[in-house]
Amino acid sequence: MQQYIVRRALLNVVVIFLVITAVFIGLRVTPGDFAVRQAASQVTDARTMDEAIAVVRHDLGLDRPILEQYGSFVADFFRGDLGDSFSTKQPVMAELKDRLAPSVELAILQILIAVVVAVPVGILSAVRQDTWLDYILRFFAIFWLGVPSFFVGILLLYALARWAHWSPPSPAGYQDFFGNPWVNLQAMVLPAVVGGLAVGAIIMRFLRSQLLEVLHQDYVRTAWSKGLRERTVITRHALKNALIPVLTVVGLLLATVASVNVVLEVLFNLPGLGLYVVNAIKLNDYPVVQGVVVLIATGLVFVNLLVDVAYAWLDPRIRYG
Amino acid sequence: MLTGRQEVGLEVLVAAQEPYAVRELGWLGLLGRFIRHKPLGTFGIGVVLVLSLAAGAAPWLSRYDAEETFYKTNPAYQPGTFEPEQKLDGRSGPSWKHWFGTDQGGRDNYARVVWGARRSLGVSLGALLFAIIFGTAIGTVSGYFRGWLDMFLQRIMDCIQAFPAMLILLLLVALTEPNLVTLSMGLGFVALTGVQRIIRSAVLTAREEPHVEAARAIGCSHLRLMAVHILPNVATPIIVVFSIGLGSIILAEASLAFLGLAPIEPPSWGMMLDEGRGYMTNQPSTMLAGGLAITLAVLGFNLAGDALRDFLDPRIRLQ
Repeated sequence: MQQYIVRRALLNVVVIFLVITAVFIGLRVTPGDFAVRQAASQVTDARTMDEAIAVVRHDLGLDRPILEQYGSFVADFFRGDLGDSFSTKQPVMAELKDRLAPSVELAILQILIAVVVAVPVGILSAVRQDTWLDYILRFFAIFWLGVPSFFVGILLLYALARWAHWSPPSPAGYQDFFGNPWVNLQAMVLPAVVGGLAVGAIIMRFLRSQLLEVLHQDYVRTAWSKGLRERTVITRHALKNALIPVLTVVGLLLATVASVNVVLEVLFNLPGLGLYVVNAIKLNDYPVVQGVVVLIATGLVFVNLLVDVAYAWLDPRIRYG
Repeated sequence: MLTGRQEVGLEVLVAAQEPYAVRELGWLGLLGRFIRHKPLGTFGIGVVLVLSLAAGAAPWLSRYDAEETFYKTNPAYQPGTFEPEQKLDGRSGPSWKHWFGTDQGGRDNYARVVWGARRSLGVSLGALLFAIIFGTAIGTVSGYFRGWLDMFLQRIMDCIQAFPAMLILLLLVALTEPNLVTLSMGLGFVALTGVQRIIRSAVLTAREEPHVEAARAIGCSHLRLMAVHILPNVATPIIVVFSIGLGSIILAEASLAFLGLAPIEPPSWGMMLDEGRGYMTNQPSTMLAGGLAITLAVLGFNLAGDALRDFLDPRIRLQ
């Protein structure tokens, strides 16, 4: 097991290398277009376009030999230096630290809501298979999968503003969870519920099919024939085994969550990584985009490792060699 | 008709092996069976047909041009002065003249929804074609040769898959000013991993079939084996991927447009949703028109794809 973890961790370092290299190459495959667009936003009276392009290339270090660029790019990354933002001239890393907390909090809340809703619903749907209750629950799940979460978010904002006269606190007044949990949760509640239910729909469908499979196994029949109560059979015998594969899905879903949350953060004005990166793109602030992409990739790769380890720990049948 | 026992037995055997025997039911019967067994799928296919019609016949169905404006400017308004109150408001609710109302620029929402269908389906179809062509190539090569090449290709695909699709698209937008073609390619690249995995698993089964072995025995080249003997066998999964993939690609395209990061011409549903939310408390018609169009499209393609998958090949499961 230890060997496996070490090997995976090393593999992850390789993956992160690949991501950094891909970002590095991407910047050079499309240099003309990018540098020109970048420069266009920096042209002043004193500078001509050519000079501005030269400044951009110098700022990004594009005027140095290519291997030297790559070396310092990688070295800087592992030192935790992601370069300076074009627009604020501040180190990207410093800003990322502030922006990370809301995004992580939102993702945790969403997964919590998803699991809290999806597990009971999934159980109910599987246990009462092919009854009207099952059909209704499954229909809702399919519906939530199809409806774009940002549209649901807008409708909620609209309905709450119109009929309940409530809207989330303004982004300027955002407070972190440990500073002022009440204000913080008010800003978080809508994106957390909307995104959480969308993820919950996927989990619910998966749990249902897993549970149905487990419920047809011999040991469950044995449990029934021993005369155990339904509650015991389902929670003690069936659910435990059905939940294990669900855990890996939750791990895989994190990438989906990160994608969806970029849009939700913009919609609900949450000062997280998503809003930061979208604004940076509009300002042509390339170092910020690159920093966020690399940071999220690194985080996800290691969270996936954690999920795999947890998977092996929970299910003794799984042995990574 | 029934001349010998053996022939009868054979007939039954053949019929039992084909899950939905076309010969027995005929196309009409097959259609009827589909409608009865898959009501939601039928609804989805209906939505898909309506949207395809809108996309195909946009110039004839849209009633107005998507960029035509329907408000008069105040005579005192000077083009150089940016004071909105000098301009008459372009927004209006649904009426007989404008079925879905008009937006902040006085443009007809119905026309923009119809033209938006053409953009949305066009970009998504392009993306899916990209994903299917390259996904089939990678999946076939990977599943056919196996060994270290397979290992290498699949690890790369795992890396791409573990990465949030939105971030790849954001990186693309940050690096290039996307036009509809590059946007399609980016969306296709994101969809590539899922497509190639399904094709690969179908190829893994197909390559072991006796007819492939026979072809190999008479000395067919690798290329001929893959193109002539294996590819026709993975046609069904490709059709299924085609219908399921479109929903999520449409959603991704709409999300980018919503974020204001996609090209602004031609009109797009995501953009309507974004523009409309600014004044939704006064006039929600633009926001609703864009949002409902996206919802209907994604839901329609998902339902149609799910049903088609179950119908054509129940063994395939997408995550």
